[in-house]
Amino acid sequence: MSGATGSDVAFRVAEQLRAPAPWEVIGERTRKFELHLQGTEIELERGPIAIEGYGIRLFRPRGNVLGTGFQASSDLSAEGISTATSVAETIARHAEFPAKSVDLPGGQARPSDVAIVDRSLWADPTRVVREYVDALLAAFHGRSNAVPSFGSVKATLSEYSLANSSGLKVQFPSTHVELEVAVKAFGGPEGAPPGEYWVTEGSRRLEPKKLPGDVEAWCRYAADVRRAVAPPTGEQAVVLPSEVLAGILPSVLGGRFTGAARLRHIAPEVGSVVGGELATVRDEGDYAWGSGSAPFDDEGAPRGRHPLIEKGTVAGLLYDSLYASALSERSTASAVRSAAGPSGEFRFAHPPGPGVTTLVVAPSNGGSDQELYETAGDGILVTQLGWAYPDPISGTFGGEIRIGYRIRGGKVAEPVRGGTVGGTVLAPKGAPSLLANLEAVGSTATLSGHVATPMVVVRPLSVAGA
Amino acid sequence: MASLEEREGDVAGAVRRLARTAAFAEAMAEAGSGETVRLDTKSTSLSARPRLQGVVFRVWTGKRWAEASTSHLAGPELSAAVEHLEGEVAHGGGTAPPPGLSTTTKGSWATHPKRPLHDLGSDGTIALAKEARDWAKAVPDIVEVQVRLSWEEEERLYLNSAGARCHERTLRTHAAVVPIAMENGNPAFDYWSHGGVGGLETVPPLDEPAMRQAAENSRALLHAKAPPSGEMEVLLDDTVAGLFAHESFGHGTEADQFVRDRSYLKPLLGSTVGPEFLSIADDGTVPGGWGSIYCDDEGHPGQKTMLVDHGRFVGALHDRETASLLGAKATGSTRRSDFLSRAFVRMTNTYVEPGDRSVEELIADVQDGVLLEHGTSGIEDPLGGQMQLKVRKGHRIEHGRLTDLVGGMALSGKVLDFLRSTRGVAKGKVGAIDPGFCGKGHGDYLHVGTGGVHLLSRAIVGLA
Repeated sequence: MSGATGSDVAFRVAEQLRAPAPWEVIGERTRKFELHLQGTEIELERGPIAIEGYGIRLFRPRGNVLGTGFQASSDLSAEGISTATSVAETIARHAEFPAKSVDLPGGQARPSDVAIVDRSLWADPTRVVREYVDALLAAFHGRSNAVPSFGSVKATLSEYSLANSSGLKVQFPSTHVELEVAVKAFGGPEGAPPGEYWVTEGSRRLEPKKLPGDVEAWCRYAADVRRAVAPPTGEQAVVLPSEVLAGILPSVLGGRFTGAARLRHIAPEVGSVVGGELATVRDEGDYAWGSGSAPFDDEGAPRGRHPLIEKGTVAGLLYDSLYASALSERSTASAVRSAAGPSGEFRFAHPPGPGVTTLVVAPSNGGSDQELYETAGDGILVTQLGWAYPDPISGTFGGEIRIGYRIRGGKVAEPVRGGTVGGTVLAPKGAPSLLANLEAVGSTATLSGHVATPMVVVRPLSVAGA
Repeated sequence: MASLEEREGDVAGAVRRLARTAAFAEAMAEAGSGETVRLDTKSTSLSARPRLQGVVFRVWTGKRWAEASTSHLAGPELSAAVEHLEGEVAHGGGTAPPPGLSTTTKGSWATHPKRPLHDLGSDGTIALAKEARDWAKAVPDIVEVQVRLSWEEEERLYLNSAGARCHERTLRTHAAVVPIAMENGNPAFDYWSHGGVGGLETVPPLDEPAMRQAAENSRALLHAKAPPSGEMEVLLDDTVAGLFAHESFGHGTEADQFVRDRSYLKPLLGSTVGPEFLSIADDGTVPGGWGSIYCDDEGHPGQKTMLVDHGRFVGALHDRETASLLGAKATGSTRRSDFLSRAFVRMTNTYVEPGDRSVEELIADVQDGVLLEHGTSGIEDPLGGQMQLKVRKGHRIEHGRLTDLVGGMALSGKVLDFLRSTRGVAKGKVGAIDPGFCGKGHGDYLHVGTGGVHLLSRAIVGLA
């Protein structure tokens, strides 16, 4: 894999760990390389941005409860490991989790073979990021009415390792890239103010060959912003592409379809109806190039595929080892480490909890994008929402339309911008929701970060505008 | 793990070494400590802030800035970062001086809390959280209560080759209570969240009346009506007005957007953009404010900057580079999320200053509209001048009276249209600065505060 390996940080820490079982260590070595653009010039070059650290988790049974203690550190000295262990022990004495024990994964399972490493990026990150930026700028060459006003390309190369007191020793690498570009359209005889299409994308690899087509579309959206008006108010058919659904589904399904939600009485019952016949959603931790995909979960268990919703009916929930133990279930290898805020992007800095990885909405017989517009008839295509801000507890979402289009007579018509679109992702049987009101699901899925889904038609959703 | 001050010699030596070849070099070293207690009806968990430290170096190559970061404050990894930047300077290809003025600020600052949360210890903090949980849980229909109490002390050391040395320890305390009500499988919740720079004195008492009220607020949302849709009169409460200030004139006045020619506000600097009774400020010196800072990450002291003064757009937020390019002064607004993140022009505490109307008068002025309450989030549009604000709930206003409770909404509109339609700003004091996190793009999150007073205008609202 072009020299891509996992870090041995966890193994080094585990060798020095002086703590009784059960315990678990995650190690991480991450390097980042960034180029920041101002216009078509490189404004700032950052890197290597290097961090190496580990997290120790201890489990201490006390009668009917389990005390869990976690401490992360970047201090790899013997004294640093001893201090981190001591802090974790102290925390475990205070913590209470409703399980008597924990069944950590052992080291024998075979991992899934999932593509999550951009090999050329791993081999020479500085050169590959520069070449990608060159290709990005080249795609704007010759355009007289659109430029990038700023942007950045950030490449993250991570090596993970996991060890535990059950004999687990696994390691794996991954790459992640973030692209941000603000495309400004201007000029023309109409004298309209400039328009902007703001691109923010996360993926596992850099794909410069896609840039000419992508830039063409971004410039078109930026130009259409200049003549767009607010959509009409009312309940109407709304067409949502994968980019928009990727901003809605992970938060809500991740908040409600887990053992953590079940323990706290906010998960739907398995077997209950939360959507229409067209709503089938799986969590696929081994989906190629998915932002949430990996060969192992964040406790070291091999990732797999788990049905969440089957034809509108709840088919399963996601568990890590701790919540599986509390609820007498088996782990679904769904341990995820992440958090918002400073250092949130580093796995080693957080204890795991059950969560979604890469969500896959099953394609159906809705056909091509054009056929979906024809199904919608008259409605709104939402190309980009300002931010859906989905609420993981209530399941509501909504945001401002940054760019979209009226659909008239089954065809994409004039652009719309401003106003809001929103609703509820899932609701009990009989109540309106995004999943209950799916009228058509396209035939081909597109991967957008953590979600692979076809375009869908929802009828109706609430639109507020002029 | 050696402290930052113990490693200062290594970091200062690295800056001196970089300055031998670079026209300017600086470093920001960072460490921290803290504890969070999370508690609900099923579990109690504690987490200590990761024992991380690290440093970011920035040099001027003669053509542009270059940065490198490492989580090692000494040893070969530190040397590798320095050597990489020396290579960048050697191949920088330019001889231009660094933009703007280099600070020479020297000082040391620390938060001195009146009631440190950590004085309670883990047991005391857990006991406080349990008491709050039990009061909220006693309210009918409440199926779950999540309580989170935390403190964190962030230590930063800024050094540059011009001689600046800023050392600061900033302590923030935060408390949040989320009672979840459930009826027929439908969850609903409101939440109680307060915090600031300091100790428990920045948080209202977590007493029985406050916790019961928080739970009753969640319960009431079980029966909230659907919000209205379309363009109408909107009365923003103080929390939503704070979000408005942040998303409209906060992000729009970050002067790096001016340099990128990406701000709809740039050509309006100096002009009247709103009514005479409207003023908006960004202030990094608000005592106890969640977004308050002692020094920014270029060594400029925190300060208050008027953005809109009695309707006139008068100021922008600057770092050394934008100040240099636009003929202004740096405003103490250069901030990094952490040692792994770049420095940007950022806000601190942004708020709407008081006007001259009572809240009752503003409500009485509305024939058919909605009061937006409990702002939760927003997003800016620096070039297009749109804004999106989201709220947990609101009340219809009909014929000058508050009527039905309605559920979550999003507000959408053009900032300049919104300002032209603004009919009143409430008098009184700027209330609590609400704690929040702000990203630049979809990353680089850091602590910011928002606040203000009620504000009456017109916009599109819809279900969200």
